[in-house]
Amino acid sequence: MPPDPASRDDSLMERFDRQKLRRFTARDAILATALTTLLLLVFAGGSVRRAGEELNPGLGRDVVLAVGKPAGWVADQLPFAQLGHDATGWLSPDADLVGAGFVSAARGGPGAASAAVTPEWFEAAALGEPEPRPPLHTLLVTGDSLSTPLDLELAQRLEPDGVEVIRDPHLATGISRSDVVDWAKLAATQVSERHPDAVVMFIGANEGLPMPGPDGKEVACCGAEWAAIWANRARQMMETYRQGGAAKVYWLTVPTARDPARAPIVDAVNAAVVAAAAPWRRQVRILDDAAVFTPGDEYRDAMEVDGSLTIVREPDGIHLNQAGSALAAEIVEAAIDRDFTH
Amino acid sequence: MLFPTVQFAIFFPIVLALSWALMPKQRLWKPFIVLASYVFYAAADPRFCLLLAAITLANQIAALGIAATEDERWRKGITAAAVVFDLGTLAVFKYYGFFAQEVDDLLNAFHMGMPAPLVAIALPVGVSFFTFQAISYTVDVKRRLVQPASTIDVAIYLSFFPHLIAGPIVRAREFIPQLASARDPEHVAVGAGLGLVALGLVKKVMIADYLGRTVVDPAFGVPQAYHGPDLIFAAYAYAAQIYCDFSGYTDIAIGLALLMGFIFPQNFRSPYRATGFRDFWRRWHMTLSRFLRDFLYIPLGGNRKGRVRTYLNLMATMVLGGLWHGAAWTFVLWGAFHGTGLSVEHALGGRLRAPGWLRWFVTFNLVVFGWILFRSQDLALFWTYLTQMVEPGALTLATGPAVLALAVVIGLQLLPERTSEGIEVRVERLSPALLGAALAVLILFVGATVPSQGVPPFIYFRF
Repeated sequence: MPPDPASRDDSLMERFDRQKLRRFTARDAILATALTTLLLLVFAGGSVRRAGEELNPGLGRDVVLAVGKPAGWVADQLPFAQLGHDATGWLSPDADLVGAGFVSAARGGPGAASAAVTPEWFEAAALGEPEPRPPLHTLLVTGDSLSTPLDLELAQRLEPDGVEVIRDPHLATGISRSDVVDWAKLAATQVSERHPDAVVMFIGANEGLPMPGPDGKEVACCGAEWAAIWANRARQMMETYRQGGAAKVYWLTVPTARDPARAPIVDAVNAAVVAAAAPWRRQVRILDDAAVFTPGDEYRDAMEVDGSLTIVREPDGIHLNQAGSALAAEIVEAAIDRDFTH
Repeated sequence: MLFPTVQFAIFFPIVLALSWALMPKQRLWKPFIVLASYVFYAAADPRFCLLLAAITLANQIAALGIAATEDERWRKGITAAAVVFDLGTLAVFKYYGFFAQEVDDLLNAFHMGMPAPLVAIALPVGVSFFTFQAISYTVDVKRRLVQPASTIDVAIYLSFFPHLIAGPIVRAREFIPQLASARDPEHVAVGAGLGLVALGLVKKVMIADYLGRTVVDPAFGVPQAYHGPDLIFAAYAYAAQIYCDFSGYTDIAIGLALLMGFIFPQNFRSPYRATGFRDFWRRWHMTLSRFLRDFLYIPLGGNRKGRVRTYLNLMATMVLGGLWHGAAWTFVLWGAFHGTGLSVEHALGGRLRAPGWLRWFVTFNLVVFGWILFRSQDLALFWTYLTQMVEPGALTLATGPAVLALAVVIGLQLLPERTSEGIEVRVERLSPALLGAALAVLILFVGATVPSQGVPPFIYFRF
């Protein structure tokens, strides 16, 4: 006979009674939880509002904003939020990256006027010009969740050659959502802290949010006006990353997602990337992995890799899985090898 | 919906208040709590709710069928059908991609073409946990350990949001009796509930994520870029990270359930003070260990069919336990490693006399070695990690905070159990208002340590 599992008392279900901890009432539970919530709203109501703004459109966002907006307003009227920030700010592991780092095109940003065509517009190889291949010392791999595990794949390929690979993915961020992380500020911080010789950027999983246009009015995704705003923001980042021509930028296009509702966002982002890079093709390389993973804008889970059919997408139908990231890393490495030695 | 999010911070106080308000009227409370749990689950993907409902109905139909007959063959047949349905669901959603790819690669090697379509199937969060709970219900009914419950009680048992996503794996006979009558609003462990939520947040955000970000991810990501001292330190750091991450989630889950008047089984009991593999599995993910013992090891024959069969049963149980964590060879080998440890321990049968500190030392270091396998992205990187571990070099990852975090996590587990329990009990007896205010302050401080990359998901969400 097998021993009766019920005879064993190894779940310790009685432990709270044994220690006489069930000594309060349901009313205490509700009051204590309400007190926690109230204090958090008073001290961090603005964070609730910001968290709501970060969410993708839908019921969840509406509910969080329904709480966050009034809570944020109350917190703005009281001195506690600043008090809380003063008390806890020293714990923050990185600088304040939220804010208005992007310069509006209408206010004299990089895309403000029809810029004159300069030699920087032309890729040296396209004109048959020889270009030196300096050694690659430091590579920054960054972006949103799309950039991981690409960052890891590149680190595994390049670090054994002595290249310092800085992996800096910022999940749930986007160029069109500067309330979470302002990529203009972040790009400036990354460059000033690390001075990378090259930057790999893979971003686009969380785009599609409305952005203020030149006149300050919100522009909804995904027409030409929205793409232009996005391109101006991307251009500002490219300008930062290329460090006046001292560094190369490898910007990956976004493969088509399984959900057809995302197609207009992906199309707008990919078109905007190409437009943004135009003045600096000498330094900014557009790596069209959308064409590799989803030729003809047709989504697919699996594709042929090294003669064998392989699943390359995550089950969410947005991200590349490990095998897909390895293939993307191969594309990036080939592009890097054309510009650098390592 | 994840626990450390603003959405949950809005959801929980509302559900808690409504739950206690409706508690005396069970006819209203039960549909309400099912609805709340499905809303919680739908936040991940509403389509997953259909799967949860299908598992619930299938197992309830099976349980009613089992109870309706005394014919043992029918009871066995229905149980087997339900278990096959549960495991089949798990196999499709969790393992299809892995096995289809492996079979495809194998057949390709022999130029035999593609046997099955390769598709990336979304893994419904928590599927490993609620399918195991469904199995436990059906099998316990078959074993006559529980009576079939009402359909709504089974729906609550499987979907109750504090344990839905990552456990603990609560057995039907532990939870369903708690639904027999309204929970007593005069006896609620509020202090323990709030204390566990606070402890879980600190473990997850301040310790696990910090160690992951600064030590574990760089070292395990590119082991070839590091040398022995760093990789050895990172292995211990991962031991601390995975403990804080998973037990932190469990603490929050148990704490939330307590505030709602429910008790969940304990899931961790200072696992790094274990003095043997058997002891370790009585302290680490205890609810999974119990499940594997009662539903796999004992039905396979346990230790009742001779020595060799015992070792085979231990190995099979642990390999399948490893595979439960995910579709990867590293998990299979991790399971085999623990199966070997348990078998060797069984074979020695206490004949090897060694002082307690030595047994602890050996066990702890073997467990940490196992974690290297568990954490490695694939077998090639595991091998790279091992070969680099013997390379001399500088210790660059051991920053002051990382060493402190490691010392606290391991050190606290080595304290006499009564001492740490005593501290916990004293905190848990404080006034709820004081604890509520303290929790708010703690959340503000914990929140301030979150980097711009955000809080990564709990490690066990993937399993």
